[in-house]
Amino acid sequence: MPRPQPKTITFSIDGREVHAPESSMLVDAAKHGDVEIPVFCYEPKLGQPVGACRMCLVEIEGIPKLQTGCSTPVRDGMVVYTQSERVKTAQRSVVEFLLINHPLDCPVCDKGGECPLQDITFGWGAGISRFIEPKRHFVKPLELSPTIAIDRERCILCYRCVRFSQEVAEDYQLVLLERGAHSYVATFDGHPYVAPFSGNIVELCPVGALTSRPYRFRARPWDIESAGSVCTLCPSQCNVALTVRDEQALRVLARENVEVDDGWLCDKGRFAYQSFHVDQRITEPLLRDGGVLRPVSWERALQSAAAGLARAGAATAAIVGGQSSNEEGLLLSRLLRERLGSPHLDSRRGGALPLELHRALGAPALQARTSDLEFAHAVLVLDTEPVNDSPIFDLRVRKGVRRHGCKLAVATPQVSSLDANAALSIRYAPGAGAAFASALAAALAGEGSHCEELARAAGAEPEDVRALAALLHGGQASDPAAGQASEREVVVLWGERLSSGPNAERGARALLGLAGTLRLAEIDGAGLLEVPSGTNGRGLREAGVLPNAGVGLSEPAGAAGRDTRGIAQGLADGQLSALYLLHGDPLGELPDRELWQRALAAAGTVVAHAAFLTESVREHADVVFPAEAYPEKEGTIVHPDGRLQRLRPAIARPGEVRAGWQVIGELALRLGLDLDVLSGPMASQQLFSAVPFYAGITLEEIGGRGLRWQERTAAAAFPGADAAALAEGEPPIAPPGPHTVEVGAYRSLWDAPEVLFSPALRFLHPGTSCDEAAALAGPERGAGLGALRS
Amino acid sequence: MSPRGWDAPSDLEKPPAEIPDPATTPVPEQLRREIEAHMADYPDRHSATLPALAAAQLLHGWCSPEAIEQVACVMRVTPAYLESVASFYDMLETSPAGRHSIYVCTNISCSLRGADALFEATRAAAADGVGGDQINVRAFECLGACDIAPMASVDGVYVGPLGPEDVPRLLQDVRAGGTVLPHKQLARLRVADPRANSREFPEHPPLPGAGAGAPTSEQSRRPSAPGVGDRR
Amino acid sequence: MAAPPAGVGGNLILLLADIDEPGLFTREVYERRGGYESLRKALASTPEEVLAQLEASNLRGRGGAGFAMGKKVSFLPKGSMDKYLVCNADESEPGTFKDRELMQKNPHMLLEGIVIASYAAGAERAFIYIRGEYALQADVLDAALVEARAAGYVGADILGSGHTLSLIVHRGAGAYICGEETGLLDSLEGKRGNPRLKPPFPANQGLYQGPTLINNVETLATVPAIIRMGGEEYARLGVETSTGTKVVSVSGHVQRPGNYEVELGTSSREIIYGLAGGPPPEREVKCWFPGGSSSPVLTAAELDLPYDFDSMAKAGSMLGSGAIIVVDDSTPILDVALKVAKFYRHESCGKCTPCREGTNWTVEMLERVECGEATPMDLDIMASVQEHIIGNCLCVLGDAMAMPIGSMIAKFRTEFEQHIEQARARREAA
Repeated sequence: MPRPQPKTITFSIDGREVHAPESSMLVDAAKHGDVEIPVFCYEPKLGQPVGACRMCLVEIEGIPKLQTGCSTPVRDGMVVYTQSERVKTAQRSVVEFLLINHPLDCPVCDKGGECPLQDITFGWGAGISRFIEPKRHFVKPLELSPTIAIDRERCILCYRCVRFSQEVAEDYQLVLLERGAHSYVATFDGHPYVAPFSGNIVELCPVGALTSRPYRFRARPWDIESAGSVCTLCPSQCNVALTVRDEQALRVLARENVEVDDGWLCDKGRFAYQSFHVDQRITEPLLRDGGVLRPVSWERALQSAAAGLARAGAATAAIVGGQSSNEEGLLLSRLLRERLGSPHLDSRRGGALPLELHRALGAPALQARTSDLEFAHAVLVLDTEPVNDSPIFDLRVRKGVRRHGCKLAVATPQVSSLDANAALSIRYAPGAGAAFASALAAALAGEGSHCEELARAAGAEPEDVRALAALLHGGQASDPAAGQASEREVVVLWGERLSSGPNAERGARALLGLAGTLRLAEIDGAGLLEVPSGTNGRGLREAGVLPNAGVGLSEPAGAAGRDTRGIAQGLADGQLSALYLLHGDPLGELPDRELWQRALAAAGTVVAHAAFLTESVREHADVVFPAEAYPEKEGTIVHPDGRLQRLRPAIARPGEVRAGWQVIGELALRLGLDLDVLSGPMASQQLFSAVPFYAGITLEEIGGRGLRWQERTAAAAFPGADAAALAEGEPPIAPPGPHTVEVGAYRSLWDAPEVLFSPALRFLHPGTSCDEAAALAGPERGAGLGALRS
Repeated sequence: MSPRGWDAPSDLEKPPAEIPDPATTPVPEQLRREIEAHMADYPDRHSATLPALAAAQLLHGWCSPEAIEQVACVMRVTPAYLESVASFYDMLETSPAGRHSIYVCTNISCSLRGADALFEATRAAAADGVGGDQINVRAFECLGACDIAPMASVDGVYVGPLGPEDVPRLLQDVRAGGTVLPHKQLARLRVADPRANSREFPEHPPLPGAGAGAPTSEQSRRPSAPGVGDRR
Repeated sequence: MAAPPAGVGGNLILLLADIDEPGLFTREVYERRGGYESLRKALASTPEEVLAQLEASNLRGRGGAGFAMGKKVSFLPKGSMDKYLVCNADESEPGTFKDRELMQKNPHMLLEGIVIASYAAGAERAFIYIRGEYALQADVLDAALVEARAAGYVGADILGSGHTLSLIVHRGAGAYICGEETGLLDSLEGKRGNPRLKPPFPANQGLYQGPTLINNVETLATVPAIIRMGGEEYARLGVETSTGTKVVSVSGHVQRPGNYEVELGTSSREIIYGLAGGPPPEREVKCWFPGGSSSPVLTAAELDLPYDFDSMAKAGSMLGSGAIIVVDDSTPILDVALKVAKFYRHESCGKCTPCREGTNWTVEMLERVECGEATPMDLDIMASVQEHIIGNCLCVLGDAMAMPIGSMIAKFRTEFEQHIEQARARREAA
């Protein structure tokens, strides 16, 4: 769908000629002339303006009544006044009305100092009130949820929070009850407001009515600094601003980036900052001694690790977890390949994919941008559950459907939270994603009988697959190919698990097939968007953390190494003897737990670079390097759509934690390899030089908003592949087995150590029993929320 | 006094209130059918919200959490959505209410003719008598029958003009479950404009759906204007 | 009680004609009286021709705003999108009960008007949003609708014309704000009846985001008469800018409260005294609301104004829904003000600030006046609060309180001041 391309118009505001985009709302257009029109309810992220607070009334020549600047699109030649006596009277009266029942308890209010109501009262209010009746008073604050407190006295009924619940997250749990002056924000029958995105309402609230319980009374705005970084807790990679006081992260706020997060955060991203400062965090090097991990000096830890890896030599393997930065991945792969002579390293969960397929799937022209999800004619969510895999995509898909009439199709093995928004929802057997995608590719290509056979193999109804093909083509179910619209923008949001497991290759080829039929590479605004299973899955692959590819998806120098599963097998068989775990927890995160248990038990040396004593680390690591949490990190990661983003240190590393690039560098030195990194930026520079299609990128160019490498000329250096030929290949489909079922399963958003170790979020962790959660969380926190866990 | 609900925290012991699971939310079959029929009437099923809530209220006596959950389950919406709607409308009760409702209009035209005293008298008498908790006496905004002011809507049947002297009989009729004040029902009222009818017509026959409000023969004349001496 | 003198209010009765004829609510009687002939006539012409008749009639909306009905129809975009017609039967302006009588006694006239209007507007779906309190009237409409469907007046291919209309009676649940057209649309969509920001206007984006024509019951019930007479002929009735006849609901302190059909432009005194019998013996008119409780009050000195849209507007008030509420000199103006303010506080939806807070504040100030805790300065504050509400709200509900309250303070300030003085003296004595 065409994105709005407004032309510039000229209008007059307070006697000045100002240029602004046509049809932008007056409150936004005014900013182009450095005029601020005060607002409370206006928040474009929430959808159409509602004009409820009346704070933005302005005078427009030719219109007798004052108009709301938030809902009046600017037109060429418009003459607007925001300082006239009429407007000032209206502004003062709205402030007076709003303050009638507001308690003015600013000295004890968490919002004080960063409160729009305070600012607007000072800026536009009369400074006095004529209201002498007693104000309303209520019990406060009250719990709205384990993470949010509500203070109904302070609420000015701007509707932002309920609009968020209803029109953005679409959980429809938070509503207004009663009407008129008795209206109040509440949930049904005293149920708590617990939903994946609930914390956004705290940030939206323009007064102190909704506050974060973990942040309450922790700091004043003049005590804190704000530091921007990127959340690495899931592939959404939301841009965040950390509120820092005394080197402690006290809060995480959204740092709006329309091309990444649209200004939203999930509750994990918002509240898991607590895990950076808990006692369970590993803050010093550990060495297994007499079966027990004991703190040791860095020197000793590095020596021991170096000795273990040196012993293993080419029998060393590495598993690189999704939270690793590109630089960490690159340096570790250099250590293995250049020094230890081992190609056995992987950053993917489920099985190797031929290099040609990686290249074909990663081709720049085929990649959809995040915002394409919003403006596409049709979106197919294939083998991923966004709310668990990459929550912010869930909101983006909803937005496209709600605001732009995007047709959504969901094809997953399990019920999806997007089903209610979908024009079509299809289920197939767990693990049968590849077969399903092949059926779809056949249906799209008009291969009826082939589709039928494949659909049955996937456990799906052939008619459903044909209907889906028709939806994507924009045609009729009877003849899907007939309706093929020439420039129909289709985005396929697909989960990495589709290209994992025994049918990985088949799944990838099917994707290429359907991409070809739908001409995703040729049509602007169309494309594939992969949800990798690890946060930085894309970046790590591009940095060469694959068994069968060098840096920049180049041909590997020697023979291909073992993939994740192969590494486990190799360790278990004794073919491999050492394992380096960089931000990885095979027992908690990877399929084949039983195999991994044997693998870890058999490994001669396990070096773990970890922030928490997860089961793999606690039970099996011989050497543990304390790892940084993301706000301590310096480096880059790559968003699923190819956007390089910068991690910037916001807080100091606790205890003896050292930078990841530094640790790997020092370890390499001890093994006799100089990786030539003396600083974070040097590591980044090494990455930009090593990956041909990143050539010339600088940290400055990436800046605070990131940079899609596909949009630079160096993208031409991306190694090409013949997608059409690859799509032709049809390796046989392996029947579902235990492994494939595992590939079909989703991990809950809340199943993460950062959730478990954040007191505010622990109640959501699926591994914690209710009683345990209550005990851990303290007496004031409820336990009944276990029901939420999925 | 706080408006209702303002002082209530969330109960953190409860799970979040999502769209009810049909497997664990039993819905009376009749109610389900009725709601589904309403949903089929509209291009968007949400339009059935008010009729669905009204049906649930009829069954449960009020829009209780249980009633709301049942409607939510059939309509596939969250209970909060329905609660939000229900609490907006005066005729939907979001706290327990009696099975019989007496809405006494106390708006301007009725109050000019003594409605406030009528309301107080009705409320007091209902509270005093047997089964007072089953009679929900409410001061209501203009019911659109100022021509029979002061008036009341008794289980949906309009009666007036009423004076405090009518209250005992009114409550007696409500408790007996029969026709309420037959001679004072709006259904049989003639238009006031004497020029409207070109000739004398016999009295109104019973109207469809009028139920208890069907006029009877000897009361088909227009009631005389009420006295105006009963104002404060 | 004496009958009104002959000849008062004009003699042409269109809407209330023989309204008490037994069985008029049945199709049989309605047809016997020439019912549905206008529909046949309309369907025999093109929608454009029907629209031309409506425009020629200069019929102004009878719900309150008085917007030209034909023009409203013409605002709907042409083309084959889903269009809707909504009949606003949420008659809830205090003092108004004309639609109730029309729907209860002559439902087919309304149905016929709706079908004709839907034909002119190209709408294929229509809803009658009737206030939930009107249970009897909704049942009557439902029964009439069954008959109309059976006779082919409503449904697919009406009378072989190719025009299709599905029509549903939708019951509200008690909220004054649902009489506001966009609040009504939200309510009909199953939401809280909060008014919407305008623009977009319903004609472009109304029900389910589709173009929507919304008209009051009386407006639509007048349509068959316009088609029967012809628009130009209808326009000869009444006065130039207020054509036709209007059913006026007269209530409060009059001897014969009820509905009266008058040609617009009839003297207000004739309606209040001549038709409704005026206040009881020995009493004088103190003030009167010409168009429901939302209209600024007029005084006894303004009784000779012609009862039409422009005359009322010129006098600083409005014709509104055509509901005259008479208050005689036995009632303190404070009681009237409190009743009115409390009503609007109760009915404010709470969406926009000036209305939600302003109605609440006004009631609290009036209560202070009542119990003697106010000073004359509070009257100034109260008047200023009304000014701050007027024109600054999302919809007209805030204005609907502020205008009459403002008018009462302006016109009866002395009485308010006396009350303050007396109440304070009483309080101090006690």
